[in-house]
Amino acid sequence: MELCDLSALELTLLLRQKKTSAVEILESTLERIGGVDGRSGALDAGALTEEDKQKVHAFITLTDDRALAQAQKVDQQISKGEDPGLLAGVPFSVKDIFCVNGTPSTAASRILANFKAPYTATAVARLEAAGALMIGKVNLDEFTHGSSNESSAFQPSPRNPWDTSRVPGGSSGGSAASVAAGEVPLSLGTDTAGSIRQPAAFCGVVGVKPTYGRVSRYGLIAFASSLDCPGPVARTVTDAAAMLQVISGADEHDATSAPTPAPDYLSTIENGVKGMRIGLSPDYFKITYPDPNTGELLIQPLPAEIEKSVRQAAEKLAALGTEIIEDVPMPNTRFGIPAYFVISRVETASNLHRFDGVKYGLRTTAPVADLTQMYRQSRKEGFGLQPKLRILMGMYVSAAQYSEEYYKRALRVRTLIRRDFETIYDPNGKYRLDALLTPTTPTTAFAMEAVYGNSVLMQYADQLTVSSNHAGIPGISLPAGLDENGLPIGIQLLGADFCEDKLFRIGRAYEHATENADWRQVKPQVLR
Amino acid sequence: MTEYEAVIGLETHIQLNTKTKVFCSCKADSWFDDPNTNICPVCCGLPGVLPVLNKAVVEKATLLANAMHSEIRPISYFDRKNYFYPDLPKGYQISQFDQSIGKGGYLDLPVPANASPDKQAYIRRVGIWKMHIEEDAGKTKTAGNRRLIDFNRCGVPLVEMVTAPDLRTADEAAQYLTRLRQLLRWIGISEADMEKGHLRCDANVSIRKKGETVLNPKTEIKNVNSIDAVREAILKEVERQIRETEAGNRIEAWTLEWDEDTNTLKKMRSKETEADYRYFREPDLLPIRLEDEWKQAILADFPELPLERRTRFIEQYGLPEYDAEILTSERRLSDYYETTVTAYGGDPKKVSNWLMNEVLRMINDQSLNPAEMALTPTALASILKLVDAGTININTGKSLLQKVQQSGKSPETIVAEEGLGLVSDDSAIRAVCEEVLAESPNEVAAYKGGKVTLIGWFVGGVMKKMRGKADAAKAKQILEELLR
Repeated sequence: MELCDLSALELTLLLRQKKTSAVEILESTLERIGGVDGRSGALDAGALTEEDKQKVHAFITLTDDRALAQAQKVDQQISKGEDPGLLAGVPFSVKDIFCVNGTPSTAASRILANFKAPYTATAVARLEAAGALMIGKVNLDEFTHGSSNESSAFQPSPRNPWDTSRVPGGSSGGSAASVAAGEVPLSLGTDTAGSIRQPAAFCGVVGVKPTYGRVSRYGLIAFASSLDCPGPVARTVTDAAAMLQVISGADEHDATSAPTPAPDYLSTIENGVKGMRIGLSPDYFKITYPDPNTGELLIQPLPAEIEKSVRQAAEKLAALGTEIIEDVPMPNTRFGIPAYFVISRVETASNLHRFDGVKYGLRTTAPVADLTQMYRQSRKEGFGLQPKLRILMGMYVSAAQYSEEYYKRALRVRTLIRRDFETIYDPNGKYRLDALLTPTTPTTAFAMEAVYGNSVLMQYADQLTVSSNHAGIPGISLPAGLDENGLPIGIQLLGADFCEDKLFRIGRAYEHATENADWRQVKPQVLR
Repeated sequence: MTEYEAVIGLETHIQLNTKTKVFCSCKADSWFDDPNTNICPVCCGLPGVLPVLNKAVVEKATLLANAMHSEIRPISYFDRKNYFYPDLPKGYQISQFDQSIGKGGYLDLPVPANASPDKQAYIRRVGIWKMHIEEDAGKTKTAGNRRLIDFNRCGVPLVEMVTAPDLRTADEAAQYLTRLRQLLRWIGISEADMEKGHLRCDANVSIRKKGETVLNPKTEIKNVNSIDAVREAILKEVERQIRETEAGNRIEAWTLEWDEDTNTLKKMRSKETEADYRYFREPDLLPIRLEDEWKQAILADFPELPLERRTRFIEQYGLPEYDAEILTSERRLSDYYETTVTAYGGDPKKVSNWLMNEVLRMINDQSLNPAEMALTPTALASILKLVDAGTININTGKSLLQKVQQSGKSPETIVAEEGLGLVSDDSAIRAVCEEVLAESPNEVAAYKGGKVTLIGWFVGGVMKKMRGKADAAKAKQILEELLR
């Protein structure tokens, strides 16, 4: 086992005990990246080689100089006996949707390929302030628009460390892949409909979508502002809790950040689950999707293996003293994706307005007759297919004559989805749940190119995660076994507003109860 | 001949005089700054930034809404107005759409006789249709075949206020702007300087036959940078529309631009369809919750408004309209007047005379702030009392104004130090009177010969010898006695 395979808290402990140094940790990390990552994502990358197909390709930009400077600082602090911070010496990767001062911040889009941010996102600044080492920026779906990472303008796109012929999920695919492959113990991702939890599930790691407002969005290049949540990807529940603790809290730069102080999750995480009430909902064991030709809603049960993982987890938790409540109705779950389709497109069409070639990013070099042509040509060259599709749809459904029919209706649906959750967590209600236990995804990681190009089907990968984004509530995805192809299966816990502490407690209890399970001993393909 | 009337509505953009911009901590005013030197990632709309609302903007907008008799919404929202323009760095403007801070409202506009068609003063009630907070965009300038952009103005707080089409003449429109400017300065929310763009106005103009109530297609006049220009532009446009209509042509919904250099209107574009700005709620900002406590704190010291005070001055102090108008033109001057009246306790009209003649000249010549003058209302009242009591004469009183202002000493101190008090001791004056008569035998003879008007000349001689300190009435009495 290498240093880089240890958890974040194991690393900081070794560091504080002076059994290693931050520079040594960094070296181990860079060595791992050198070994498994292959070439970094780039524009116009050419055809994939056979070797490319064996590698992870999590990164777009390595910031090893920055990490080294930070590592040296941490080592100095330790030698002087100063407190270097909760995550001192812990390497982390950052989804390249966050701005970091002086580094390329591309959003995996050609239109921002040359953009170097002049300021640093709050979440990244807080990690660095806690002593963590930012090792680089990782790949994602262009502007986070996808669930497989294949839409990145920076190719090769990341591959699943468990099977490099499969996708890592998305849009935080680079984050999940880099954590799963032991390139970093922590990664900062974002979750708009499941973009942290789905790739975490596909890559067999822990992913947390915090309560909306728990973590500042300042510096996060917006996709859908009312849904976007920055959050941790980690290999253990405790690491995820530590990271969330560091990045949480009010931020004067984000008016939607919650004023409640960041709690000390680590102090309660081992408290166990006795007496907690955990629900199972039939509405999370099926997916509902429209027939592409008729629009008729089709219902399909989830693969048996996935449902089984959830039920087994429920049994484990019951054995630990939780009460399992069956048949919790979540009737509006099936409207999550259609409502999301509308709301996220309206917001992203507006958020992407600013990329016009005037101030930064790509400006066409083609001769243009006037300003309008410059806009059109720059955006045509700069945006990939996914942003273009989403802009078109967003423009359409927010037009004055359609807004009522689509956008405003979607907002009403969103309220209904929120109500489903309020009902089950109501301390005076019928269910009084501490958490809802569900599968994270309807499938395990799919093959590269199997779904890409089918925007609707790709979107339905988020069906079990998107509702919590609508509702603003927190969710966590935990590894819970391997399917028949040896691919990770993820289970999800959804909690009430700002109850991440409970999700961590349950997650940690489950993790502890399964630590000797066979599947926990299996390593990802790229590390075998 | 058909009689027409103009139907005019004004859209004003009011730049609030906050210290910082509406969503970031850059300085709000860039009048003296080089282009693109007063900017940050937030107001430039860089990827990933978020707006954070400056509360002072809400407070100032609330003051305006209150002054315009608008309903102040306890919860209002920000919305995005989406459009592409190079000086709009986010590609959308953060504004308020359907649930803005102010709802409805009006301004009762006194139209003076000289601005009235039939020379009768009247009141025009101008309704307010829209009142919302928004951020300003930057400025675009064309230089040859290049366009230059200055982002300094991005994020400067504005209130957009749109009137109902209630104005009927170019003079009324000008009056509205004059009164609005006065009001904005009065409640302290804007410098309201049109030349500096603190107050911007677009005018929507149409005409109709007198007596009709229909609204005909309107034109929008943009880029008018002074109240006179607004009046002139509207006059020209109304004339044009009448001419076109008389010639049987239809009025098209054009946007017109006022050319300051040639005093003419130029067509900017046709406006066939309304642009779709695809408004939706700004997800990056919380609703403005104007809780009662906050609202009450904002409105706690809400002042009496200029037009109300003008009426009260006429009624309470018996001032002529002319005086009341001048004394309520500016709030600090108005406060100065009233404080003086209270401290003085005498005839308010006398205070008005002193203020409008002597003190106002000082204020204007030396660009003084009435609220910060060394010549305080109390000092002015003291001078008036000294004159009333005969301690000093009027001329000494007037000269005291400047002395108090320059030295900061009280009028009483100066009178004592410089010996400016009137001499009313009989014997002292009598001695000087005798001296003057002795030195002027010819005049004494003439007086005795019947030229009694010479008495003023003798008094002048006495005053001269006593350097103005004599009680003139007493001197006259003694002289008459000696000459008898």
